[in-house]
Amino acid sequence: MLKYLARRVGSSLFALWVITIIVFLLTHLSGNPVDALLPDDATKQQIDAFIRDWGLDKPLWQQYLTFLGNAVQGDFGTSLKWPGEDAMGFVLARMPATLQLGGIAILISLVVALPLGVAAAVYKGSPVDNGAQMFALLGQSIPNFWLGIVLIWVFSVWLGWLPTSGTGTFAHAILPAIAIAWFQVSALARLTRSAMLEVLDAEYIKLARVKGVGEFSVVWKHALRNAAVVPLTYFGILAASILTGSVVIETVFSWPGMGWVAIEAIRGRDFPVVQAVIVAYAVIYMISNLVVDLLYVAIDPRIRND
Amino acid sequence: MIHKKTTFTSKSKTALASLLLAGTILTGGMSTAATAQDKVVVAVSPLGADSNLYWTTTGAFIFPSMQTLVGNSAETGKYDNSQLAESWEHNEDFTSWTFKLHPNAVFSDDWGPVTSADVVHSFEIHTGDDAKLSGISALKETTLTAIDDHTVRFDLPTPDPDFLFSHAGRGSLVIYSKAQFDAEGMEGYEAAPAGSGPFKYEGRDVGQSMTFSSIKDHWSGASPEFDEIEFRWVSEPSTRLAMLAAGEAHAVTLPRDLRDDAAEAGETVLSSSAGAMQSTMLFTGKFMKPEAEETRDATSYAWADARVREAVNRALDRDGILEVLYGEGVEALPVYTMDPRFPGYSQELADRFDEDYGYDPEKAMALLKEAGYPEAFDNAAIPLVVTSLAGNPEFAQMAELVQAYLDVVGIETEMREQDWATGNTAIRGFTADFVTPMRNAPVRPAALGVQIFFTEHASPHLDLGDPEINALGGELLTETDPEKRDAILNEMFTSIYESYAHIPMAAVPATVVVSSDLVEGWTFPGSTSSGLSHFELIDLK
Repeated sequence: MLKYLARRVGSSLFALWVITIIVFLLTHLSGNPVDALLPDDATKQQIDAFIRDWGLDKPLWQQYLTFLGNAVQGDFGTSLKWPGEDAMGFVLARMPATLQLGGIAILISLVVALPLGVAAAVYKGSPVDNGAQMFALLGQSIPNFWLGIVLIWVFSVWLGWLPTSGTGTFAHAILPAIAIAWFQVSALARLTRSAMLEVLDAEYIKLARVKGVGEFSVVWKHALRNAAVVPLTYFGILAASILTGSVVIETVFSWPGMGWVAIEAIRGRDFPVVQAVIVAYAVIYMISNLVVDLLYVAIDPRIRND
Repeated sequence: MIHKKTTFTSKSKTALASLLLAGTILTGGMSTAATAQDKVVVAVSPLGADSNLYWTTTGAFIFPSMQTLVGNSAETGKYDNSQLAESWEHNEDFTSWTFKLHPNAVFSDDWGPVTSADVVHSFEIHTGDDAKLSGISALKETTLTAIDDHTVRFDLPTPDPDFLFSHAGRGSLVIYSKAQFDAEGMEGYEAAPAGSGPFKYEGRDVGQSMTFSSIKDHWSGASPEFDEIEFRWVSEPSTRLAMLAAGEAHAVTLPRDLRDDAAEAGETVLSSSAGAMQSTMLFTGKFMKPEAEETRDATSYAWADARVREAVNRALDRDGILEVLYGEGVEALPVYTMDPRFPGYSQELADRFDEDYGYDPEKAMALLKEAGYPEAFDNAAIPLVVTSLAGNPEFAQMAELVQAYLDVVGIETEMREQDWATGNTAIRGFTADFVTPMRNAPVRPAALGVQIFFTEHASPHLDLGDPEINALGGELLTETDPEKRDAILNEMFTSIYESYAHIPMAAVPATVVVSSDLVEGWTFPGSTSSGLSHFELIDLK
């Protein structure tokens, strides 16, 4: 078990190191930072001071090592778009907003998708199943920014029930959470349905029914527990993609989370914050996947024995 | 390919917003129109840099609580004394400028009167190492002296007849309170900078909004008819439009297509009283240096041939292009950086523009044939830059439209998708070999603009390479006689115009869409970088 854990953590750290190289190189490929960050009529003194402060006069490998050394300590420099703000500190300060939105979206996904997937499997071929399939198709076909704008116009402009954007109250979170959850509900419902269909056809389920176990227990206890490995696999991706996939939605709804920071930093060519937010997202993805891997081990002893 | 995806997404969103707006009209719309008139909400694109320390930003947004020395008239855009300087004068050769402050000007929060010490203190922090302001170079070499409590003098190393521009809409120097700095240090500025404007800073939600309260009995007599003004930074234009339709915002800035939709829905589009921006497409690469046309080698371009440049200009239906890009209210621009508000303006060029630059594809094709295009050119294809710049979402479409028109007359083009910084890197490195959109915002004094964009004297990397224009630019640097300066500028503009040295596009006013239910009117000159100012003049219903 420990060996397995160590192997997974090691591979995650290696991936993180590769990501730091990519992030560093990408920020240097998108134009000279001097031209990106200083006004068009910057003086020679301004340019020289900028190059000196950023170490841009040093070889690229040396710049990377400096970047890596600082990044390991969580120091990504100071934000350029929000002068005076520590880059990683600024990103982390926005994490609660993203977690709040993501948490609500995950909750909506689970509460809607699991019963929908189970019901579609149990009533295969029925109107319930067809409705769920149609819902899933629509959910996976509609771009979430489009859905977000539609939700704003319907519920904020036409009906006047909810605020268009911003933050402050629970009402502000409802529309963006739905917009984020919509796609995930569809994906999770389809996965749950297919996994349940497979399990419901298994011999031990038939045996349980023959032995007189109640249908509720058969479906929700015996079948769902065994079918859960498949949606659980997806849940790791779901959790991470809800957090990172909020980038567009947070921008549409002007929700001040990490996704909003990512877009604004890119628009403002705020390289320190861009680097910080990408690394933060990478860490979130890795932790999510690591947790899922560990859950596998907890659920399926065969993986532990391997 | 990426650009095409982006365009598709943008168009999809626009189409969607239009559809939904139509639904709003049909359903009676505006279901939750705001009723509270004590607070005005203005929703705009987020700032490039967001800080209470103004000099650490590029100066895109001057807080309504802060003031510069020189104002701009709301009605005409001309310099006036509505800001901190009551009057000003200069010596004969424009190397010394003296400003007399309004004696009754005071800072908010009881930080006392505005004095010369505040100006000197503000000047010092604005010209420090951490200053990133556009236009700060005009002040860097300047010496500032406090003559008395309410008089300051700027001594310049070279004559600058357009020195007022730095102190007006350009906003190179806004005045902070020295008394606040002495008492609270930089932390005081970071927390709540005191200003002398008709609004008082109340607070900010970083990246989201800023709030200011109106000052009763302001020293200048300005009297906003509302208690509070909040600026919300909202990236997505469709969301800003929704905020307006839902009554959450009184005024929003919108791209041209959504602006039209809002107008159709009954909202009011207001334009600045004067031009806020000029746009153009610039040929790059010192193509007018004498040897360029002769060699036509790798260092020269098809546009090194004047006939090709004229053909490019003749191939464009500007009325059609400007209608698509900007809609109503824009004027064709005879020469980029020439403006009727500043010396050097030539009415004659404006009058001749249709004749010399009017849409004439047949003439364009004849010119190309005469030039032996494309066979006689090593680099016949003209790279058009597809780029985006904050505040100029139309730049990508501008390149696409130009390409379509050039294609009709047989001019080969190549769309080059690159971000603004990459283009700047090439331009600054003298390796630019493309035709790129460019803007002049806020509209600089002609003498400054023409040097930046066409000569070697201000931004050498944008130099046309033309010896005659450079010589005239050199004369302009030292000439202080207004009539002679006017003549030199006139000659420079005529030379640029007649040599078809660029592709002038438009003089564009700043526009804002206001709720027709809530706002009666708002007069602003479009003289700042953002185009918006004079918030105290927002007239509510």
